[in-house]
Parts: sequence; structure tokens; C-alpha cells
Amino acid sequence: MNTDPDRSGQARALTVLTPIEPRAQDDLRRYLEELKAAGSPLARLPRTHFGRWVIVADFTPDDERKPDHLAVPYLLFTACFDGALDSYLDELCDELAAEAPAIWGRCAGAPKPPTGAPLKAYLRAHQAKTGFFVAAYPQATVGHVHAALKQREDVIAFARAAQGMDPAQLQAAFLEQVGG
Amino acid sequence: MAIAEGPSAGPLTATGTDPRNVDGQAICITVFSTVKWWGRLWLPLVFVYARLVPSAHGTLARLSFIHFARWTLVRRLPEQRLRHPHLFFESNFNGGWEEYIDAFSHILTRGMTLFWGSSYGFPTPLPTGRFKDYIKRHEIVASHFYSAYPDATTTIVLSALELDAKLGEFRARTRGMDPEAFARAWRDFVTDVQGCL
Repeated sequence: MNTDPDRSGQARALTVLTPIEPRAQDDLRRYLEELKAAGSPLARLPRTHFGRWVIVADFTPDDERKPDHLAVPYLLFTACFDGALDSYLDELCDELAAEAPAIWGRCAGAPKPPTGAPLKAYLRAHQAKTGFFVAAYPQATVGHVHAALKQREDVIAFARAAQGMDPAQLQAAFLEQVGG
Repeated sequence: MAIAEGPSAGPLTATGTDPRNVDGQAICITVFSTVKWWGRLWLPLVFVYARLVPSAHGTLARLSFIHFARWTLVRRLPEQRLRHPHLFFESNFNGGWEEYIDAFSHILTRGMTLFWGSSYGFPTPLPTGRFKDYIKRHEIVASHFYSAYPDATTTIVLSALELDAKLGEFRARTRGMDPEAFARAWRDFVTDVQGCL
């Protein structure tokens, strides 16, 4: 029975909402949108399945019946990742040291510089607890998914190549190409 | 009017969403909605029910295009007192935006009402037109979205993981077999895992 709302199997959800400093929203948006050109920095976190940064200008549309406007825009960061949160945040603060000043450095109350243990504490202080988290493959780590996808390609290629092989060839090729 | 966002990165993709919400086959959706006073009490109960009752997972599992999804009730922010709680929903999925919302509405009709029934302005999940309008008005485009395996759909990931388990059994079962028996076992194996290839 899963009693931790941030967990589904071994997978975990992280949700962080941090207030953006006045007048920093446009520069932050531009920076985040340009990140992809050089490859996502989240790729350097091998436990991350999915991640996103979203600038939340407001929670509600202007014509909402009961508008509840944000005083300042917020930066939403979420990740679906493997294993424990504590070590993941360590890795995040370490691996994103180059990008963090341009991202969380534009958020109010962030440590100066926004790196290491002070950044980790800042992110923890702004974490929102998940209500319900669901994963299609909750026990599979990113490494397991990558290996399984590669293996599937190998098996498909082998199954095609194996047509017409005699039994001895087939067995030898299987052991060599797919592994015994 | 939808929630204010930055300038568009371009026209909607073939997936029916902004290109900033897309990484390869993967699409993200980010939605905030304002929750009525009783949702502050109601939604935590829904979350507990969804976590502890296996059938809730089973229904979501029928949506074979979702990698990960979450619902979070934002009750407070360290820097601002909120008049209302807000429901945050995110999903990481593949396929098309329209098809995603359609499937959600048709398969999770009751669940959608449980999750969003306490949000202001939430229409019934069916017919889907009004619900799509509601989601569009409350959706926020991502500035950066990342998938570790952007070319793989949920179905392909699940197939690869199933194949991995079956291949492990096959290797163990055929170790030391003579070539003739191995060839027969291989043919049976390929037939068995056809759906994973």
C-alpha cells in the first residue's frame, strides 16, 4: 500500500513553486526557452524521466468567477525521477550549478549564489506536496527504460536477421547478438 | 481568455499543442484551477482514495498513452496568502492533445468529476467540447520540457519492459539447450512476444 503521495513504485514526483523577482519574468522565460537549443540540462540528471519549467503568470484566467490572482509570477519546476528526493536534490544542485543562477537566481529569496546546500534548502522550502501521482511503469528506472528500449531494437533486428538461419547458426547468433 | 503566457514559439504542432509543450513524441500539459472552499476538504479524500484503491490506478492504466501524471492541491505559498486553494494537474503523455482530452473524458468520466468537480467553472466531462475549452483556458504552456526518452511512446516503453522480463525467462530456460530445441523455443518465443515488437 502506497502511503507516500509523492511516490509511485520507486518513481517520485517533485513540485516546486518559487516567486519570480519583479521584472525578471521575460528574461527568465527567454532563457528557459533557449535552453533546448544546446540540449536540456536535465539530461545531465540520469534519474530524471520527465521535467519541466513553467512560468505561472497567474493561477486563474482574468474572467474566472472567483479570481485569486498571484501577487507575482511563479516559476514551477517539476520532475518525475527515480529514488530518493534528498540525493536527487543534491544531484540537481550540483549538476545544474551552471544554469541555476539564471533560473532560480531570478527568484525572490533565492540564496546568492543559488547553488549547493542553500539552493537545496530553498527548493525544499518551496516544495508542494503531491496529492496523487500515477506512473505507467512505476518500478522502472530511467536506466532500465533505456536498456529495455535498446534491447527491444536489438531483438527486432535479430528476429529479422534470424529468418532462414539453421538451428546451430540461430543459437550461436542469439548468444552473440542478444546475449545468453 | 487563457492565462497570460509569453509569446508563442510558433503555431500549434500536429499534436494540437504549442511546440514548447513537446519533446519528441512526449507532450506535457500543465493546468491550474481555482478550488471552491469545500474542495480543501474534499480533494485530500479523493487523493487518498485514488492512492489506496487499486481500481483507480487500473482505470488510469487504461489510458495507455500516459507516462506520468499528478494532481496537487496548492493551499499556501510561502510568500502569499491565497484566498482559495488551487488544483495543479500535470501529465506527460504521447499522442495528440485533442485525443488525450477525449480519452480522459470518456474513460475517466467519474474520476474527472471527482478531481475537478470542486473547481470553479468546471463543466461536466461530457460532452468533451466544453471540457476542452475549460482545459485550454486554464492550461499554461511550458517554457522548457524534457523527456529522457523522447522517441518512445508509453506503449513502446511498456512493450520493451515486458520483452525484457520475457527475454530473461527465455535466456534462463534455453541455457544449455541443443540447437534443435533452441530453434523451436525461439519460434515459440517470437510468437509469444509479437505484441512487444
